[in-house]
Amino acid sequence: MEIIILMSVVPDTSVKIKLTADGLPDMKEIPWIINPWDELALTRALELKEDPGNTVNKVTLLHVGPSTHGQVLRKAMAMGADEAVRIEATPRDSYETAYHIVAFLQERAFDLVLAGIESSDYNGAAVGGLVAGMLDIPSVSAVTGIQTEGDKLHVVRETDGGRETLRMPLPLLAVVQKGIAKEPRMPSMRGLMMARKKNIHVIEPGAVDSLTEYARFELPPPKPPCHMVDATNPGELLELLENESKVIHLS
Amino acid sequence: MTLTHLTFILLLFLTLGIFARTTVKYIRLFRVTKPAFPLKNIPARIRVVLKVAFGQSKILQRPVIGFLHALVFWGFLVILVGSFEMVVDGLTGQERSFHELGDVYDFLTAATDVLAPVIAVAVIIFWIRRNVFHVRRYDGPEITRKSHRDANITLALIFLLMLTLSGMNLLYLAYGMRTGRMIYGSFPVSAAWMPAFLSGAAPEVMTEYYRILWWVHILTIFFFANYLPYSKHFHVYLSIPNVFLSRPYPMGKLPDMPEVTKEVKAMAGGEEIPEEGMPDVLPGRFGILDVEDITWKNYLDSLTCTQCGRCTSVCPVHLAGGVLSPRKVMMNTRERMDEKAPGLLKGVGTDDGKSLLGVYITDDELWACTLCDACVRECPLNINQPELILGLRRYQVLEKASAPTEWNTVYTHVENNGALWKVSGADRMKWSEGLCLQTGDGQSRKIEVPVMGVLLSRGHTPEYLLWVGSAGAFDSRYKKVIRAFVKILEYLEIDYAVLGEEETSSGDFARRTGNEMLFLMQAFANIKKFHGYGIRKVITCDPHVYNTFKNEYPDFGEALQVIHHTQFLKQHLEQLTAKAGKTFFGEKKVTYHDPCYLGRINKEFEAPRQVIRAMGLKIREMPRNKANALCCGGGGGQMFRESGHGENEIFLQRTTEALDTGSEMIITACPYCMTMIGDGLKYKHREKEVINMDVAELVAGRLGI
Repeated sequence: MEIIILMSVVPDTSVKIKLTADGLPDMKEIPWIINPWDELALTRALELKEDPGNTVNKVTLLHVGPSTHGQVLRKAMAMGADEAVRIEATPRDSYETAYHIVAFLQERAFDLVLAGIESSDYNGAAVGGLVAGMLDIPSVSAVTGIQTEGDKLHVVRETDGGRETLRMPLPLLAVVQKGIAKEPRMPSMRGLMMARKKNIHVIEPGAVDSLTEYARFELPPPKPPCHMVDATNPGELLELLENESKVIHLS
Repeated sequence: MTLTHLTFILLLFLTLGIFARTTVKYIRLFRVTKPAFPLKNIPARIRVVLKVAFGQSKILQRPVIGFLHALVFWGFLVILVGSFEMVVDGLTGQERSFHELGDVYDFLTAATDVLAPVIAVAVIIFWIRRNVFHVRRYDGPEITRKSHRDANITLALIFLLMLTLSGMNLLYLAYGMRTGRMIYGSFPVSAAWMPAFLSGAAPEVMTEYYRILWWVHILTIFFFANYLPYSKHFHVYLSIPNVFLSRPYPMGKLPDMPEVTKEVKAMAGGEEIPEEGMPDVLPGRFGILDVEDITWKNYLDSLTCTQCGRCTSVCPVHLAGGVLSPRKVMMNTRERMDEKAPGLLKGVGTDDGKSLLGVYITDDELWACTLCDACVRECPLNINQPELILGLRRYQVLEKASAPTEWNTVYTHVENNGALWKVSGADRMKWSEGLCLQTGDGQSRKIEVPVMGVLLSRGHTPEYLLWVGSAGAFDSRYKKVIRAFVKILEYLEIDYAVLGEEETSSGDFARRTGNEMLFLMQAFANIKKFHGYGIRKVITCDPHVYNTFKNEYPDFGEALQVIHHTQFLKQHLEQLTAKAGKTFFGEKKVTYHDPCYLGRINKEFEAPRQVIRAMGLKIREMPRNKANALCCGGGGGQMFRESGHGENEIFLQRTTEALDTGSEMIITACPYCMTMIGDGLKYKHREKEVINMDVAELVAGRLGI
């Protein structure tokens, strides 16, 4: 069985995005990383591949993005993915991304597709659902656990106050959540060197119209400074909580 | 040729034959190992041998028992000449073959006569220490019955050798005096003892007893010679070679990995990997999984180890009740080599499902090491235990990517934002906000901390680069230290600058936790910046940065002049003490905690102490100070790991030791130490009355700037 990971490349989460003079996000000199949710999805896929108790034998990365993301793809392959496909496009919204992915997947056989629940740059949280819908295959969202059982999958999702386990047929698209893997796998030195030998297949994109138009970007207001209250003065704390932050009401 | 003569020759050849076999066996085992370093600088090596081996300098770090050992060692050297003479006597059928040496012979025999009983007494003391007093370091979970047996057999054999030797001297002297036969050599102790022992013995009886003692002695030597290589007392042979073959680099430098260096250099040089991938021959294993990955030096260390336990007795992890014992690492290596190498050499049975890593030495042990090098400094024979531990870490990190979770997180931060914490590189200069210099009379001036890039654009290259470090830039406590130090720089009108947002991690954390790749990525990036800005001198408040810049970076670029801030302060003491009176701190009681990477490892004990004293303060030293200082528990990646041994934890032990001096201020000179001791004070609820301060804060405080 092959697992395809829909992998997004995002700015490192510690980066503070600035805006350019024309009000667009300034993406110059930004350290790029694998989208954290996709990284967890990839980790889980690799765990399944390494577990002899199932038939997963290949993990493929599918990415829509420019060649500058090649290094990050390489890192994801260093974690242990077998192959990477990069669709040469710079999508402006989730629909465009999904469109390219669907165009590619329609042309080939696949079993299980994993998509992170959202990407940490624009947080659209739409690509997974869109792809499943456009491909007309079943999908489960907010998945926190995947086990294989023959040609069926056990998919666990967290519900409000509980958890449900679904038995799903293949092909399937699972939109995964934090918890799908314990922690992201680190690429080893050996893995990095092995990854140098692996291919990244570059696919030319089809034409697609963007459905989104960005009106404006705004930076969040700066955090107000931290106010320290002396431990010996609980009265001040209560006063601030009631009148300043208005989170408690003392009658 | 008499039968006795023939017997002797046969026995001698048997002894030599067995010894040759043993030698060949060990030489073959060394063929399994990897290269370590080329043998250069012989004069320096001879000097080390003279000091450490012949001078017994390191064993004398524990003066009393060390002196006893030294006496035994020196005695052996003298007695060895006598043993050699006995062999020549036995071969030629003569007696006292070396007597023509004249005065030298008199000296040698006299020294032997004095030292033999001295050694016998020392051996009894050693035996009592081991078997009656049960000295703690002789025991431990890794110590087997064979270890104790080896020790007792060796002690018994030495005792027997000394007893027979003294007896022979006594009988030789008595016989000569009784019969008037010529006596070669000088025997002061025997002369004194003779009347008590041999007043009425007949000459024939004496001859007979002499012959018996001679044979017992020589046979003991023959047995001893072949027993040692199979016992834990192999050091009798290997101590001098092992010291001669000491590592040719400073204690603070970790060995390079040329294959990783080559790889990272290619990446750092902007080598783009084409999307179709590149054909490549992959190098062999990174780090140490099993004995075939260790260097000959690691193996020689393990054979030389006498299991004396000095290393373990000073290991902070061990003292805190943790799993690590540096001695065990050495013992495991020797044991595993014995087990695996014969199969490897034959090319069969190499996979027995075991390995040095995992089966012998567990993850818990190798992750626990603080790399404080207390064991290295303690070992009388210059064994380096952490190097092996690092090799095992390297395997886990570079091959398996299975470092502890907390370290993986730190690696990610270092790689993506060049800091040990999840912070933004854009915030690297926040520590300097609102910094003012008090210029006296209630006046102050705003400090604009100069940044290299800005100065360069104005065509100026400052004299010093101030390395702020992750802690200086982001740790709320250590920011105050950097701020204090910058004020001093401004006060002294020093021509300096910082790298600002361009600064990244030094890579020390990555290297010491086994992530050589990440270390090199940082090192190459930093060296490039140093080069680009024409930086020649770097000041840092972090002994770890100091160590890695000073001892490790030169392997990858030009050597810089690296200055620890306490050294810088010492250099400028005259200016710093010119104005303020010496009574600023009053009669405050202070103690100073030596950071491992400044003190023990880079031997800078005096600069911080001189500065503290110049501030008018008297230092109440902790029992373990300078080279013997206990680690704070934060090094080697431990600051980012949960240790959890309760009250015994390293940082609490050290804090207690500092508090026990009765000091009101604990002064440090390292961000890790600052955090660990600070945490210790909080844990003990003493943070209100005892201040944890850096040397720089002390100076800035006194200057009132």
